[in-house]
Amino acid sequence: MKILQKSELKAWKKAKKLGPKKTIQLLKKQGLTGRGGACFLTGLKWELVKNAKGNKFIICNADEGEPGTFKDKLLLEKNPENIIEGILIAAYCINTKQAYIYLRGEYNYLKDSLKKTIEETLTASRSSLKIDIIQGAGAYICGDETAIIASIENKRGYPHFKPPYPPQKGLFGKPTVINNVETLANVPLAIINKDWNDSLRLFSISGNVSKPRVYEIKVGTKLGKIALLAKAKNIKAVCFGASGGCIPYNSNSIINAEHICKEEAMLGACSLIFINKKKSMLDLAINIAQFFNHESCGKCTPCREGNTHILKLLEKIKSGKAKQEDIELLEKLSITIRDTALCGLGQSCTNHILTALNHFKKDFKVR
Amino acid sequence: MIKLKINGCEVTAKEGEFIIDIAERNGIDIPHFCYNERLERIGACRLCIVEVKGIDKLQASCCTQVKKGMEINTHSPRVLEARRINMQLLLANHSLNCTTCKENLMCKLQKYASELVIEDSIFGETQRKDEIDNSSVSIRRDNNKCILCEQCVRVCNDIQTVYAIGMTKRGVNTRITPAFNNTMKQSSCINCGQCVVACPSGALTEKSDIPKVLEALNSDKHLIVQTAPSVRATLGELFGLPVGTPVTGKMVTALKNIGFHKVFDTDLGADITIIEEATEFVKRLKENKNLPLITTCCPAWIKFGEQFYFKELNKNMSTCRSPQAILASLVKTYYAKKIKKDPKDIILVDIMPCTAKKYEILRPEFKGEADFVLTTVELAKLLKELNVDFQNLPDSEFDNPLGFSTGAGDIFGHTGGVMEAALRTAADLIAKKDLKKIDYKKIRSMEEIKEAEISIAGKKIKICVVHTMGAARKLLEQIKEGASPYHFIEIMACYGGCIGGGGQPPPHNKKTLKKRVNALIRVDEHKKIRKSHKNPAAIKLYKEYLGKPGSEKAHKLLHTRYYRKSYV
Amino acid sequence: MQKKESIALLNILREIQKRYNHLPEKEIKKLSKKTNIPLVKIYETASFYSMFSFKRKGRNTIRLCNSPSCYINGSLNILKEIKRILKIDINQTTKDKKYSLELTSCIGCCDKAPAIMLNNELIGNITKAKLRKLLK
Repeated sequence: MKILQKSELKAWKKAKKLGPKKTIQLLKKQGLTGRGGACFLTGLKWELVKNAKGNKFIICNADEGEPGTFKDKLLLEKNPENIIEGILIAAYCINTKQAYIYLRGEYNYLKDSLKKTIEETLTASRSSLKIDIIQGAGAYICGDETAIIASIENKRGYPHFKPPYPPQKGLFGKPTVINNVETLANVPLAIINKDWNDSLRLFSISGNVSKPRVYEIKVGTKLGKIALLAKAKNIKAVCFGASGGCIPYNSNSIINAEHICKEEAMLGACSLIFINKKKSMLDLAINIAQFFNHESCGKCTPCREGNTHILKLLEKIKSGKAKQEDIELLEKLSITIRDTALCGLGQSCTNHILTALNHFKKDFKVR
Repeated sequence: MIKLKINGCEVTAKEGEFIIDIAERNGIDIPHFCYNERLERIGACRLCIVEVKGIDKLQASCCTQVKKGMEINTHSPRVLEARRINMQLLLANHSLNCTTCKENLMCKLQKYASELVIEDSIFGETQRKDEIDNSSVSIRRDNNKCILCEQCVRVCNDIQTVYAIGMTKRGVNTRITPAFNNTMKQSSCINCGQCVVACPSGALTEKSDIPKVLEALNSDKHLIVQTAPSVRATLGELFGLPVGTPVTGKMVTALKNIGFHKVFDTDLGADITIIEEATEFVKRLKENKNLPLITTCCPAWIKFGEQFYFKELNKNMSTCRSPQAILASLVKTYYAKKIKKDPKDIILVDIMPCTAKKYEILRPEFKGEADFVLTTVELAKLLKELNVDFQNLPDSEFDNPLGFSTGAGDIFGHTGGVMEAALRTAADLIAKKDLKKIDYKKIRSMEEIKEAEISIAGKKIKICVVHTMGAARKLLEQIKEGASPYHFIEIMACYGGCIGGGGQPPPHNKKTLKKRVNALIRVDEHKKIRKSHKNPAAIKLYKEYLGKPGSEKAHKLLHTRYYRKSYV
Repeated sequence: MQKKESIALLNILREIQKRYNHLPEKEIKKLSKKTNIPLVKIYETASFYSMFSFKRKGRNTIRLCNSPSCYINGSLNILKEIKRILKIDINQTTKDKKYSLELTSCIGCCDKAPAIMLNNELIGNITKAKLRKLLK
């Protein structure tokens, strides 16, 4: 995979030669966008923080927690050097001496090797940047950028309303860049490779497939091709993680953010979970609703209380006691949660219900 | 200034203002639970959502800042539908037994639910069975009624810096409790009741002493009641009178009508506090010892000091009792002797703005003095239950010998008032003459820390007035480090002083509090005698019974001491 | 940077959890005194995260992933087997205090579903046979 190419500080040296402004320009030109699910132009994010006065921070978001996602894990294992180099370059461009890596608690086994890589890279680059590893402790919500900030500030992982956005007011109230692991791993390659292509991304493919793994795929590839790669058979639906919702399997479906959005789902961090025809979308919905119940931070009413009733209604449907009005209530509730929740988790936690009801009504039997 | 539209009407605002404030200013009350103008905005309850043209999702109006040309709809069908669902979600996890709830008809949750035309609970009801915490003598905590608006936690931690309670666990298991699920009594709670004032849903209420008082009223004991300075400024609100209407006369009549034999005025206790404390201050100033002197009428602040700063500050705290404790002491000694009754046959009820007073009267140092405390809110409930037609009552005067007070006693009820009253007397003592200056307007504002330099007979005296314990803590830290520039400090735990006490009727927004302050200022200005040491009833007391201010007897009856308090 | 900003509470709590298999009240009080962070603030934070517990857990914690990829690849069958071998239910600890069992959200082993986390280790492609070997 191209992403595993080691830069070995070539990009760092180039960045130092170009200077912060030109490095950012280069990244903007190369079109590097975020790979945490939001797809924001990375160079632009850095520029906003570079131009801010006073203390700033860079946070590497290694809290990969979206079900079906394991690409960052691969990078942390196989190419941590690029990630650290990416952080180095980011810190240099925005002009800060303090960086954090928020490493999810479940990846704690990588901490020591990551620390070693940090030491080696800092020594070899002669940078005085301080990179601290903060270990998560089992909270999916801490993948959200304002929740990550709260967590590093020693608080509960509660998201904060936006605006203000982290580049305006982030960690400890200061302008902060938060970048995903894959984004940072791409920074050195985007700098040293003229032919670097933003549309080449890491897809986490899993579910009812014979070859589940991370694939390097061009965004815009057809679903049939991906299914072939992963040896998926008899597929009914594809879920985009837990929060992206699902689409019915169609080998001609174009897998990019725009097209998925048209189908009222979200591509997000490019995690595809293949569901075969034997599975019930109702059972899956119950499983995902249990996930969101467990992971809801509890701060806002619609997500905290709403997810409890989503699960109750789904269980009622499963028990065979539900009527049509229960489906209608499920839909209404899902829309309200989506439209009024405080953060990205709440706003996307009912995508799976709405898409499943739309495409797989048969699985949700009522009296 | 920018122009924007709310519900089709053009309004003006400053750039960066929040939608909910602009709406309120233009007569639109957007339902909200977690928003409080004095607390950090969190956007948690999602009831205040509105539609903003051009933005797909509904926005929380308490956290959304306006831009030029914004078009906002606060009550569109889409907004109302979403608001109704979120309200239904709250109700589904809340007891629906309003008729047997203390907050019935005073509850914000009820208010906004009824405005939304909800005719059926569509989500059923979750039977939460959390244990009710009745351990505190001042506050009752019922987590089954909590809607997790986090106001109490923000008040306790950010404003009061007491850190008694916090958010625990996650998701729908979230609960607001002290650390390690300890009880309120075990926690560092200072009983100030600001959490009670903030709670919109009846989860936090004052501990009720109404049944005990009713029992007392039906007994054959000699029944005395005393009323705190700030109660007269707020009681009327609970009977539909405009905010800021002093109702002293009606209050006294009402209390007489329900069976109290004598109605005494805590303001007299306040005057005596001043006489003792000013004497204490002048002595310390002369000796330049144990300065700054800190006032001690506020039992919540005292508990705070005893818990967090005892070692450093015990010497700074005034040994004078609070006005309530002074009068209570005199009722059970001086007055009991005068009417030749055994103090055990006298029941003294305090009408206080304060939930911490319920704790104060139970301090061992004050055993046998005041018997019960009713807050302003409780008194109103009691009067309503006894069918008192409050609004139409004629005025009455307080009873002698403990009923006469000066204007200085009245202003104890608001922030800066104790200091002002003390200065009026201290100035005369220092200058050794009757000075003309009475008003110290600079310290009457609603700012949390107010300082001033007063010149008296050539002496420069630096004073500071603070309210809320968070602001007070800053001064206490200064004293701890030996860096305090002040001679005299007034501390009130509640924002606004006692007019914003834990037992006062909500809401406690700045507008309401200011009106209450002005009510007391007016009462003071209308009195002929405005200096405590000129109070003829007080002068008589000293002559007949106490001797001189600061005398041994005065110390025994009118002063107290403090103890280190532990908490979990 | 101020002193407060250099305290990484999550890292400290993790060490305490590791040492005592839970967060003892005594240790948290000590921590509060040492860091000057009010006790209830530390308690607020600690109680939020799944990997901290105030009740003592077994010497080993088994976290079985029950997120969609593992679920559709038979996580519940694995759960049945673990329950059978250890004779405990979810959120319980064996009598000899050797194992605690929990269900967990996605641990990033979707390509090796079903998967578990045994203490610090991520173990994928769990079968009944593999389980029996692990939990001998």
